[in-house]
Amino acid sequence: MRLKFDQQLEELNRELIKMGALCERAIRLAVDQLMKAEAEKAKEVNQIEMEINHKEREIEALCMKLILQQQPVASDLRQISSALKMISDMERIGDQAQDIAGMSKFVQVQEIAHTIHIGEMAEATIKMVTESIDSFVKSNIETARNVVKYDDVVDNLFLQVKEELTGKVIDDSQNAEYYMDLIMIAKYFERIGDHAENIAQWVEYSITGEHDDSEQE
Amino acid sequence: MTKRILRSILLVAVIGLIVSTGATMGILYYHFGGQLEEELRREASYLSVSVEKEGIEAFESLPADAERVTYIDTDGTVLFDNRADEDAMENHSDREEIQEAFQQGAGTAVRESDTLSQRTLYYAVRLSDGKVLRVSSTQYNLPGLLGGMIQPILIILILMAAISAWMAYRVSKAIVDPINKLDLEKPEENQVYDEIAPLLTKINRQQKQIKREIADAKRQQDEFSIITENMEEGFVIIDVHTEVLSYNSSALKLLGAEESKEKRSILAMNRSQEFQRIVEAVLSGRHVITMLDFGDRSCQIAANPVFHEGEISGAVLLILDVTERMKGEQMRREFTANVSHELKTPLTSISGFAEIINDGFVKPEDTRKFAGRIFKEAQRLITLVNDVIKISQLDEGKLPYEKEETDLYELCKEILRRMEERADAAGVHLYLYGPHVKVNTVQTILDEVLNNLCDNGIKYNKKGGNLTVTIEEDGAEARISVQDEGIGISPEDQKRIFERFYRVDKSHSKAIGGTGLGLSIVKHGAMYLGAEVKVESTLGKGSKFILVLPEK
Repeated sequence: MRLKFDQQLEELNRELIKMGALCERAIRLAVDQLMKAEAEKAKEVNQIEMEINHKEREIEALCMKLILQQQPVASDLRQISSALKMISDMERIGDQAQDIAGMSKFVQVQEIAHTIHIGEMAEATIKMVTESIDSFVKSNIETARNVVKYDDVVDNLFLQVKEELTGKVIDDSQNAEYYMDLIMIAKYFERIGDHAENIAQWVEYSITGEHDDSEQE
Repeated sequence: MTKRILRSILLVAVIGLIVSTGATMGILYYHFGGQLEEELRREASYLSVSVEKEGIEAFESLPADAERVTYIDTDGTVLFDNRADEDAMENHSDREEIQEAFQQGAGTAVRESDTLSQRTLYYAVRLSDGKVLRVSSTQYNLPGLLGGMIQPILIILILMAAISAWMAYRVSKAIVDPINKLDLEKPEENQVYDEIAPLLTKINRQQKQIKREIADAKRQQDEFSIITENMEEGFVIIDVHTEVLSYNSSALKLLGAEESKEKRSILAMNRSQEFQRIVEAVLSGRHVITMLDFGDRSCQIAANPVFHEGEISGAVLLILDVTERMKGEQMRREFTANVSHELKTPLTSISGFAEIINDGFVKPEDTRKFAGRIFKEAQRLITLVNDVIKISQLDEGKLPYEKEETDLYELCKEILRRMEERADAAGVHLYLYGPHVKVNTVQTILDEVLNNLCDNGIKYNKKGGNLTVTIEEDGAEARISVQDEGIGISPEDQKRIFERFYRVDKSHSKAIGGTGLGLSIVKHGAMYLGAEVKVESTLGKGSKFILVLPEK
């Protein structure tokens, strides 16, 4: 019985890693779509987003099965409950990556993207997502805490991008539509950063049993 | 074990107690029964004496608490009874003890009373006048007796049970304690019970065997890890649930993972989509060989499923770092493309000039000029082919040259003498400083290297500039530096000048001449000699190439 339980926990772990890898890929492709003109990735992102949704259902079912059949306690229960929370954050990351990819299809948006700091913001967000998944994979509290701290960097970049875009919209009101798109893309990146931060916090919770939600919105 | 001993002792104690109590009671009961009968007989004989003497009046002096006495006539009629109204009593002639007394002079009988808890003993004796005197006494029968004594007996039983339990506990502890304190590391040194000596011997033997087997297993494990740790190739074994069973440090490095003491899935080492797909494919039983990029390294992955009794039980992954090979192949491809291009340019010229002459468009007096051009281009072609041959030879590293003792000063002097003419034409002054350092080296290759360096020093110098060759001896090393005062090389270009066909100034390369292979030959030559080439250069001020030779 316990042996089976351990195997199921491992399976949960594996599935989470896979889902995390899918999120990383989704956001990486979305950024490619935005920053590299030759890339035509939006379709692939859609497909990955569907895969992510599917994975979320799968992992959810697995967690429920574990809770009902094995009635886990202590750290096992923490691991499962934080997995349940993490997958919803991951799923949101997938959704937002899809939105970013969808909006980045226009050449004008891509051109403007190169004139502002959104590229750095995208890289910073990718770094957060990758490290939050890493912290889970390696059960590393240090990495998780760094991710939580790094969120400030993304938040500051968002403010900077917002300022830049405000200036541009005044000077060049003809392309206002695309600037609007870009501000939304920036906001999505900022939200992805928040989700990565949440994931990192849940990683910390599953290891230490303490959840610091003071920085949560 | 303690429990079992305790239970047995307790059981024995309780059974003993119950049996002994029962037996004692039975014995006592019969003993008291006999005594009572004896008493009745004695009492009857006393009474009979007094009755024979005094007649019926004798009963009047009976004490109130005397046993029951009945006086019966010869026909069975009751004449007197001190416990009952004799008139109401029936004829007693059919009673067992009375009949016995009539016939034999005395008789006894025992009768259980109706209540079952008592029994009555009768003793009858025939007097001399034929009448019978009967004395009877009532006592408790066995169940009655038990009923009366059950309370004290129970108390004693419980008390005894408690005492024996405590004793049993102590005793069993005393038996088991030495066994618990056995030193199983050295089983044969224990001298506790003779009975467990064979067991200890067996344990001892098994322990030795286990130790031997563990040592064997550890040695094999060590051998395995020594072999795998020294492999350049990454090596990972996983089970069917993707859990990592074994790996080496190269695998960690190539997959970009960290050391971990805990068991983990291979996906925790690398979770890229492509890698996941390989793992999935191999665990579904397919043999996979594919190329994969991990960060900036290109790797070839060979994954083999492991079958056990017809089912997949895991997989072995071998990861080869092929970055260098890929780079080498890339360079070779570029080299071939460059060589073809470089060969084609002079050939096109030659072909063009020849065509014009052939078509008769050239005046006879111009033919010489055209022939000169064709000659020049052909010379260029020959130089180029020579350079390519040299570089290929150096590349192969299979030159048949022997090492010989060489005086660096003499060699440099000779090279500079060869250059004099060209230096004069370019307005460059040549200088040579340094001691006569003798080095054991391949002179032809060193000549080639220095020749190329000096040639460049003249070609890229400014008019009226200096070319200084300095020889130094520094411990076991010899240094030759070639310094010019020409155009210099920017730091970005410094990284690339040793590449084949790389030209810093592409637009003027035709005017300056050369094949673009010079410094490449220098690099390969130096490598062949085990020497090192360094560049120090400032743009616009000149460059300094330093060749560091191992002296012996």
